[in-house]
Amino acid sequence: MRLFSSTLLFPLVALARLVAAKSSSGDSVLVLLDPSLEKENFSIFFNGLEQRGYALTFRAPKDAEPAIAEYDVPSFSHVILFTPESKSYAQDVTPQSLVGLLSQNTNLLIAMSPKQTLLTSLAAEFSLILPPPGTPLISHHPARAEPPTVIPVAVPQSPLVRPGTPPVWFSGVPHALNTNPNLVPILRAPSESFAADSNDDSGASMLVDATEKGGEGLWAGSQMDLVTGFQTSHNTRVVFAGGVELFSDEFTKKELPNGKPSGNAQFARDVVNWVFQESLALRIDHTTHHRVNETVPGEFYTTNDQIVYTAHISAYNPRTSSWEPFSGLTDLQLEFTMLDPHVRIALPPVAGSPGIYEVQFRAPDRHGVFKFVVDWRRRGYTYLQSSTTVPVVPPRHNEYPRFLSAAWPYYAGAMSTSAGFILFAALWLAGDVKGERKVKKGTKTE
Amino acid sequence: MAGPKSSKPASSATTEAVSSLWKSYTEQTPDRLKFIDAFLVFIILSGVTQFLYCVLVTNFPFNAFLAGFSSSVGQFVLTASLRSQVNPENRSEFKEVSPERAFADFALGSIVLHFFVYNFLG
Repeated sequence: MRLFSSTLLFPLVALARLVAAKSSSGDSVLVLLDPSLEKENFSIFFNGLEQRGYALTFRAPKDAEPAIAEYDVPSFSHVILFTPESKSYAQDVTPQSLVGLLSQNTNLLIAMSPKQTLLTSLAAEFSLILPPPGTPLISHHPARAEPPTVIPVAVPQSPLVRPGTPPVWFSGVPHALNTNPNLVPILRAPSESFAADSNDDSGASMLVDATEKGGEGLWAGSQMDLVTGFQTSHNTRVVFAGGVELFSDEFTKKELPNGKPSGNAQFARDVVNWVFQESLALRIDHTTHHRVNETVPGEFYTTNDQIVYTAHISAYNPRTSSWEPFSGLTDLQLEFTMLDPHVRIALPPVAGSPGIYEVQFRAPDRHGVFKFVVDWRRRGYTYLQSSTTVPVVPPRHNEYPRFLSAAWPYYAGAMSTSAGFILFAALWLAGDVKGERKVKKGTKTE
Repeated sequence: MAGPKSSKPASSATTEAVSSLWKSYTEQTPDRLKFIDAFLVFIILSGVTQFLYCVLVTNFPFNAFLAGFSSSVGQFVLTASLRSQVNPENRSEFKEVSPERAFADFALGSIVLHFFVYNFLG
């Protein structure tokens, strides 16, 4: 009975999990599909998306409807461009319009090909350096039945992909990365692969020339990348994949040379999770600040005040489609800045309160207008930025310490002189009285 | 007192002079004047202590130093003038000032001085 219920329960739970996974920024997706590509060849990928709750709209690149943006307002939350071979698009799809989408909360997934299209120039804008046109990735290792342009690639460790993902089948064009901190490498080329301008081995002479020149001019090795992400300063995400076959049914069902199933399905799901803002999506809910013994934020602070700053941070949980408090950030920093950070201090999570990060510090000895600045950027994660402006005023005339400990010798001196004077006066007058009595007595007795 | 002894060395002459001064002071000064002198010595010590603290350690609350030091100095001046007015040997100088009047002046001046000192002490 238990075995039966567990075998029945597990697929249901798995299905429920799939259905519940949704993006944090909307689930309408526009898919621009090349006319030469059949939608059925990507059924596993697209059906997976629809099962997870995304509403897909298909369109050829040359169709005018539906447009990606109407009157500068994006019509969809995400756009997939599986148009590796298209040279011309409808009027609404230009590199400028695609970049404009990114600044309006829309994410992109772009598949490229060895052909030179407008996607090539678009990729260059994102610090990707593409090889000369017509040079796909070729690798003669490992030994396999497929042609050299179809390559199994190991998936490196990264917060985006599930650990233990099997190697994926890849076919397409590699690219090199410039040093841009917004880039997120996802899949690296195998070290024995290279880019050459023919699909068969007739380009061997080119390789020989390159080795004689010491490798100069040859696109080769694991310094090339195959799938790269880019997170803009608006926190929207783009992924450039070197080839569209990575997502196809054929590659997903193909077995690896060692007989095990490929990791294409899992890898495609992880990539889509990241691009569509499901995984590694964080946000600052709100921040507060106040003096140590108060709860309401002050309108201003005084120099050398003890200030408490609190940040509430959530992460998106795709399983429950909701933002949940997240205490997993160990390296948050707070800066108390007036032109330069006067105070830079760690903002640790509070044990026992999920999602709350708090620190107490002393306002610096300078007065002026300061900002509480939280600026946390890590590859792959949403950039957390927050800035709160607050004035810091010098102490009022009655807020200085009343008695200074450095002055106690002078306090003691003045008080001892006064005490001495009073004692002296008392004794002098007592002596006077005694003297008078003596004189009186003396005259009396005489 | 014995006459000068020419056979003694020079340092002994100094110590001789000091001890004879001290002896004549203790024997010939009236008790009331000695009482005033004790108070004067106390004020001097207090003033010197404050001055040394200011010079050696810190003059940080300078207003406090001025107040404390001038309290000592002012009190010393007033007490010294009381001593000279009350001394019976000076009767010829102070014909119109009786000892009681001198003490009253001293007390009034001291009270005004302390008022100023505590104001400036901060």
